[in-house]
Amino acid sequence: MNSHRILDHPVLGKLTIEKEIPFTFDGKKYTGYEGDTIASALLAQGIRTLRVHEESGSPRGIYCNIGHCFECRVTVDGTPGIRACLTELNPDMIIESGKQQFSPFKSTENQDDLPRTYAEFEKQLKGEKEDEPDV
Amino acid sequence: MDRIVICRCEEVDLEEIEQTLINYQCSMREIKLRTRAGMGYCGGRTCRPALNAILEKVSGEKQPHQIPLKVQPPVRPVSLGRIGETNYE
Ligand code: FES
Repeated sequence: MNSHRILDHPVLGKLTIEKEIPFTFDGKKYTGYEGDTIASALLAQGIRTLRVHEESGSPRGIYCNIGHCFECRVTVDGTPGIRACLTELNPDMIIESGKQQFSPFKSTENQDDLPRTYAEFEKQLKGEKEDEPDV
Repeated sequence: MDRIVICRCEEVDLEEIEQTLINYQCSMREIKLRTRAGMGYCGGRTCRPALNAILEKVSGEKQPHQIPLKVQPPVRPVSLGRIGETNYE
């Protein structure tokens, strides 16, 4: 499904569909077309959130689309910091979005609110209520 | 739309920068150190003009204060591993 693609552009004309290129984003399989950048292939699938801010977790996507701002950076085949807007899609790329990180040095009102284990951190990320600590 | 983010890398908004400028009457370099605006992954290349414009607006001077935001290499983020690697192709 590539429903967000412009197939007939008033200036650029009709899209001639080239080779299909399969890739994986966050564990899900998608297809783009030859000549796509990672960002354009994902945008065509309706995926606009390429990562979240490392500290706050607010969503980030294409911002400048010319390789200037690094807002669109993703991890490609294990290499972090790859700009989705400049990198051409290759067959079977494994692409991972940027995730929220720990912020251990942030001052907090109440230290009991801090996660003590990774499991608790993940629970807080999902917005679930904290229950008994995992043993 | 009441929160205008100026520095996206470090998520610093207009209000925070303006407040810090008013409170400390400081240079843009000091703003950077206080709020982290312009200190993020992109190297401040995206928000630097905006930061300078804010300083100009708040202080009312052209080229206000003595210490500007400096521009220094590398021009784009490079991992330390890459710099240290001897046989990088
Ligand atoms: S969107 Fe700005 S670098 Fe890719």
